[in-house]
Amino acid sequence: MKLSAVQADAIQELGNIGAAHAATTLSQMLSSSVSMSVPAIKTIDLAELGNHIGDESAAMVVFELQGEIQHGGYIIFYITRESAIRLTNTMLGMTDTDRELNEMDQSALLEVGNIMVSAFLDATAELLGFIMLPSPPALSVDMAHAAMESLIAQLGEEVDEVLLFSTELICEEHKIDSDIIMLPEISTLKRITELLEAMMSGT
Amino acid sequence: MIGIGEYRVGSFPMMTIGLGSCIGLTLYDPQKKTGAMVHIMLPDSGGRSDRPGKYADTAIPLLLKELDQIGCSRRSLVAKMAGGACMFEYFGTNLNIGERNTEKVRAILKEQGLKLSAEDVGGKVGRTVTFLPASGGKISIRRADGVTSEL
Repeated sequence: MKLSAVQADAIQELGNIGAAHAATTLSQMLSSSVSMSVPAIKTIDLAELGNHIGDESAAMVVFELQGEIQHGGYIIFYITRESAIRLTNTMLGMTDTDRELNEMDQSALLEVGNIMVSAFLDATAELLGFIMLPSPPALSVDMAHAAMESLIAQLGEEVDEVLLFSTELICEEHKIDSDIIMLPEISTLKRITELLEAMMSGT
Repeated sequence: MIGIGEYRVGSFPMMTIGLGSCIGLTLYDPQKKTGAMVHIMLPDSGGRSDRPGKYADTAIPLLLKELDQIGCSRRSLVAKMAGGACMFEYFGTNLNIGERNTEKVRAILKEQGLKLSAEDVGGKVGRTVTFLPASGGKISIRRADGVTSEL
């Protein structure tokens, strides 16, 4: 599906609102300020995925989009391994950065992801009047590309390109760099753009 | 670098990064020091023919055809595969694609009369695979923790 410039703008605005709410919750959890990038929308051919997401080690907390659409795609809290350790250290009052992500870190990441993604989806639901609920979270701490391609494989055999929609959230004080990435299934994307267009035309 | 659904045939170094549930399959002719590598995403094409490298059922016959065209004999081909992991436990309810890919590749190789000489599949781990046809078909697999092994 090709997005028109107007549709891309509308989705960007939606992402702005969702990510701003997610950033607020992250800021509260860290008791520190969090800034966010302008949301980036990329249509990526599957063969090119490796040019966008590499095999670096990262933690990904993944939620399936459910609610009014059953299998609506995915929303992901993505954080590099180093940032993930600094994040849980900050939350749990630890200082050792040269270590593995243990069970306590993993449950903290699941919880952070849960809170942020819920805030994101609450905000978008309020704006759109279209409810997307997060599934229970699943966590992968491994190569980012390996996790992402496994999710895309679940979207179905006819999918040859995907729309990735990501916003970077940065906490300068603690050097934490993370992203919220949305990977909508095509019918979800259509529904969202229709609703946004109806809102803008005032009908 | 070989992206999802892509393949290459030749004697130059080949690489595919971050295999999760996908499969990196190599076919190698030791006499000619030439081979092929493909990054398979799903088991069945369901009749689609536009991206043959993406599906196990279309990728393997295609590689065999291309290798045959450059004079590799099918009898001398050595097949190896890596990948087929299950990166997320929760979504495993939606049938395990990694496992289905692995099974399908095994079945088609058998159907085509090819022996699978080595594999590193399954688990909850991503793999980056490098294939060097000119250096005796050497295959190395790197995991997220940096551990590298040979296949």
